[in-house]
Amino acid sequence: MNGSIRKLRNLTAGLGIAGLATVPLGLLLLWSFARGWYWPALLPRSWSLRAWEYVFSSSSGVGTGLVTSLGIALIVTLVAVGMALPAARALAWHDFPGKSGVLLLLLLPVLSPPLAAAMGVHALFVRYGLTDSVAGVVLVHLIPTVPYTTLMLAGSFARFDPDYEAQARTLGASTFAVWRTVTLPFLAPGIAAAAVFAFLISWSQYLLTLLIGGGQVITLPVLLVAFQRSGDESVTAALTLVLVAPTILVFLVASRFLRGFSGQHKNG
Amino acid sequence: MSPHSLFRFFLLSLLVISLACGQPKPPTPGRLSPQEFERTPWETILQQAQGTTVNFAMWAGDEARNRYFQGPVTEKLKQQYGITLKIVPYNDTIEIVNKLLNEKGAGKTSNGSVDMVWINGENFRTAKQGAVLWGPFSERLPNVRLYPEAARQRDFGTPIEGYEAVWQYAQFVLAYDMARTPEPPKSIEALRTWVKAHPGRFTYPAPPDFTGSVFIRHVLLHFGGNPQAFQNGFDEALYQKAAGPTLDYLNDIKPFLWKQGETFPATPKELDRLFTNQEIDFSMSYGPTFASQRIERGEFPPTVRTFVFDEGTIGNYNFLAIPFNATNISGALTVMNHLMSAEHLLEQSRVLGSTYPHDISRLDAGQQAAVEALPRGPATLSPTELSSHLLPEPDAAYLDRLEKDWREKVLRKP
Repeated sequence: MNGSIRKLRNLTAGLGIAGLATVPLGLLLLWSFARGWYWPALLPRSWSLRAWEYVFSSSSGVGTGLVTSLGIALIVTLVAVGMALPAARALAWHDFPGKSGVLLLLLLPVLSPPLAAAMGVHALFVRYGLTDSVAGVVLVHLIPTVPYTTLMLAGSFARFDPDYEAQARTLGASTFAVWRTVTLPFLAPGIAAAAVFAFLISWSQYLLTLLIGGGQVITLPVLLVAFQRSGDESVTAALTLVLVAPTILVFLVASRFLRGFSGQHKNG
Repeated sequence: MSPHSLFRFFLLSLLVISLACGQPKPPTPGRLSPQEFERTPWETILQQAQGTTVNFAMWAGDEARNRYFQGPVTEKLKQQYGITLKIVPYNDTIEIVNKLLNEKGAGKTSNGSVDMVWINGENFRTAKQGAVLWGPFSERLPNVRLYPEAARQRDFGTPIEGYEAVWQYAQFVLAYDMARTPEPPKSIEALRTWVKAHPGRFTYPAPPDFTGSVFIRHVLLHFGGNPQAFQNGFDEALYQKAAGPTLDYLNDIKPFLWKQGETFPATPKELDRLFTNQEIDFSMSYGPTFASQRIERGEFPPTVRTFVFDEGTIGNYNFLAIPFNATNISGALTVMNHLMSAEHLLEQSRVLGSTYPHDISRLDAGQQAAVEALPRGPATLSPTELSSHLLPEPDAAYLDRLEKDWREKVLRKP
């Protein structure tokens, strides 16, 4: 009796959460096909493929924007996690003078107002000739991503007892074997979560990309924001869906990956 | 790999990345000084432009416009001049102006990533004051003579002095739905009466939005008497005389606006939405063809029409400028002159429905006939109707002051 009530409650909660997530997406989908949708009509009066035809046409630049966004986000993810691993390890396992200062410095890019920081960074990047290139955009995306990946991985390292590594080493494992068979499997869920975070932060950057990329590096958000104020709801909706779709995919893959790992831990 | 060597590897790769993009690009032959341009025959400029790439920073929030510029215009430039046009999209011109100001501050005086930019008004004033524009040049472009003299003198009161080339033309219009409002109020005073008789059915975007700001400037010109007087720099006495009744008028209609004037739509987009949702009875825009375009896209009902005030509506030109650190100046000059040609503008008006900007009397008979024959959307007013109701844009200093007074004395007034 009690169980069935709980089941019902869980089901309702599940449906509610699913609804909250899908309703906005459903509305965007309707808008992207709508041709004229005025109050008080509940549904668009007529339908059109205009927005999607535009999105898939070469003049919209969505294809190249997608490739650029994806490439940049993947490189940023790789570098941000790579930079964070040693830093997180040091922060979690070692006490050293000025540690809180280092933490503050690390958080500073996230704490300062984005626009002010971006303008300052732009001036610096111009001086060093780093603007108007993909490499410059990758570098600037690392500024908001590295603090997150480092702090998340520091959490993972903190839960991991360094003695496990020492134990493995007393049993004769090489540094690399310890890393591959002991440390990495334990940290994997944390690394996956940090990577998803880094990917999503880079994927959604607009201002930094526009400033540092100088209009030469055209990612999806740059294309989308140009439409935001135009009043063309259908194209805006279609572009938003194109921008959101990969993030949902990344999230689904990551959640499966995370679940797989936690299961493995329980069984092992 | 140990974490230490991993870290070293990433430091190294970052160094490599930064070195790779720190490489100075080789100087291009397309760069020349305004003095050199003065001495160079136009034919030589065209030759220098052959085979180059021009980066054009353009507001890219209009699907039809993007299609047209990325497609037919790009092909034409390739075919006719051997130029590759690359569109640099932006959402607001101020983004590009800020980028240039930053680059100036950091000493990046050449190899800029933008060769020409679509600009006008306050952004032009900011850019010109910040000395981030290349020039003077515009009076030397062959096609500039097709535009009326007045269009080449001032932009929102700021003297142009050759730092931007006149391109397109826009004029403020209001939209209404014949099915709902058979007789729209066609003057500032008639609007006051109408708004009071129909509480909650009118509003305007909150300045400093571009469209909301031009709406309240119409009230200022109405009470200022002679619109030409607002052209020559800021005159405190003139402003005081006009601003008093202007703010009184706006406060007078405020309680009868949508939501009792307690809040305003932030953008023309929101205004359009209120209008299509039948919450209000008027929309407004700087684009005389906006209502026809919305009808075609199915966003406005087919019964929507536009009108101008009997005392006239404010019109302005928009321009093309060259950044001080542009890489390909001869290319930019070539593209500009093409975009300013009768051939291009006739086609652009046909494709995008833009208002034809040239002084018609300066065209040859064939071109004049072509302009007359341009198709118009169902909601678009005729060129004669628009030009006979044209008011000049007041100096940008009036705009700043009126926006500030509106915020303090209309918006915040309980």
